[in-house]
Amino acid sequence: MAEAASTVSGGSFALATEGLAKRFGRQVALDGLDLRVPTGVVYGFLGPNGAGKTTTMRILTGLVRPDAGRVELLGRPFGRGDRRRLFDVGALIEGPAFYPFLSGRENLRALAATGAPTSRTRVEDLLGLVNLADRAGDKVSGYSLGMKQRLGIAAALLSDPKLLLLDEPANGLDPAGIAGMRDTLRALAATGTTVFVSSHILSEIQQLADVVGIIARGRLVREGPVEDLLRAAGTVRVRVDGTEVAAAGGILEVAAGPGTVAADHGPEAGWLTVRVDPARSAELNRALASGGIFASRVEVGTTLEALFLELTGTHPDVGSGGPEARGPGAGGPGAAPSTGTGTVPGWPS
Amino acid sequence: MRLFRANLGKLRRRPASWVTFLLLVGLLALLVFFIVVATRQINDPQTALGARQFVTFPAAYELVLQLVLSLGGLLAVTYGAAIAGSEWTWGTLKAAVARGESRVLYTAAGYAGVAFFTWIGVVGAFLAGVAVTVLAALVVGAPLDGMTDVEALSRMPELFARAFLAVSMNAALGFAIATVARSQIAGIGVGIGVFFLEGVASVFLPEVLKWFPFAAAGAVASGTFGQGAAISSGLGTRLDPDVAIPVVLAWLIGSVAVACLWTERAEING
Repeated sequence: MAEAASTVSGGSFALATEGLAKRFGRQVALDGLDLRVPTGVVYGFLGPNGAGKTTTMRILTGLVRPDAGRVELLGRPFGRGDRRRLFDVGALIEGPAFYPFLSGRENLRALAATGAPTSRTRVEDLLGLVNLADRAGDKVSGYSLGMKQRLGIAAALLSDPKLLLLDEPANGLDPAGIAGMRDTLRALAATGTTVFVSSHILSEIQQLADVVGIIARGRLVREGPVEDLLRAAGTVRVRVDGTEVAAAGGILEVAAGPGTVAADHGPEAGWLTVRVDPARSAELNRALASGGIFASRVEVGTTLEALFLELTGTHPDVGSGGPEARGPGAGGPGAAPSTGTGTVPGWPS
Repeated sequence: MRLFRANLGKLRRRPASWVTFLLLVGLLALLVFFIVVATRQINDPQTALGARQFVTFPAAYELVLQLVLSLGGLLAVTYGAAIAGSEWTWGTLKAAVARGESRVLYTAAGYAGVAFFTWIGVVGAFLAGVAVTVLAALVVGAPLDGMTDVEALSRMPELFARAFLAVSMNAALGFAIATVARSQIAGIGVGIGVFFLEGVASVFLPEVLKWFPFAAAGAVASGTFGQGAAISSGLGTRLDPDVAIPVVLAWLIGSVAVACLWTERAEING
């Protein structure tokens, strides 16, 4: 691991990794992961199942040692023997872990006896923060998943961390709980705490995160501010009559360039997705009109979900009506663009 | 110290602590009941006499202690395994390590809490066992004069120290097995398996197996009250009680060391 004298990022990031690698037998979990998490942001850590998110979290909290690579926590190298660095880090990894026979309050107190010294008032404050004060005396075995999750978030905040690592924190939370969690995390980031969140709820991350990192097969495939990434991955979606899809596709390809147009199939038939700067939407509409085709709808922009699906090479698993429906429009307006040539686009598998 | 205190708080609330203790006391009472029944074997005067000796003090002290050690030894293994294994199964070890806690300290403090509760359990079970034995003595008409035997009572502190050492080692063994297995169930299962395997193997290889943990633990407090030695000597080849002490101590330290080192080096994936 890292030498004390050298840092990955020159100490300017709350969290940074360089060339992080980890194998479990023949299974490659991480394959040279490089992350840069600025201080005081909410960082969305995204990736499909098995991409290496949880392994990364485990390495960052000293639960697992990397085979290669370096980690920097709060501006300083983090390696074996640096466990006290975690006094400034809060973590919720793979769901909350508690003694089922103890109450929520007793669990927090038991946990507070480990790591950084924590006051009893801090426990009570956090129980209030996560709205569990009324049930704090009940055994955790009687808690719902959402309550356990809230208690887990409280546990992660016990040491008033400068860096908060949360693995799927919205699991089991109801909409009010998710909104509450979002407010809490945003408020923490506003006070300078860096929040590193992995989640499968991409719409939630899109609302919550300032910066995202997307990993696939153990490597970082994209990282940057959410707005920048979405702008760079912009699309224009055009709805035309079903009988005019082929002709419209041809016109749009001429206007936007070869390989930029994908036609949707299945329930979304009639939609064409064009990978092009959204600012050119009027130009595309004009080109169609010049060709005698009138778009019934034109939508611009993309979503984090669409970007995620494209970058990670994954596709919606269920509810898409079979392989034919796994076109870029299967996710509805704003769904992922395809790199196909405009006739029978399909999701990378 | 705060880790140890926190562990005591957890173990006090833990159902396994009370279930294990009540099970031990219940089994003791059951065995004493069988002894009382055996004294009624009018067709077999030898058996009846032998059974009556079991509930005659001061030798009964050793009988109770031996029962506590043998039954309690097995239960201590399962108790230690349950506590250590659950840290992995429930992910609570993971949470502590992620907060920057020392793995070795956390494990050692966890074992210290188990040892403390095991000791309380032994004392409690011994007292309950003596009470039940007194009742049994009254039922069969055995004298209770030996209860106040000064020499026997003066040896009580040593007796408890030896018993504590023995069950602490048993608990440490279960603790270490569950730590290596990273599982409550696996730890308990393997612990019980080792207990019975050692018992069976000692029939065939008594000279070798007497150095093994359960046999050595049984030897630590045997023969403390003279007649008890005669009773326990029938159970098989045993180490001399004083020789058994360093052997048991070595098993104890070895088991705790294995648990600590294993936790220190382990990759915590679950």
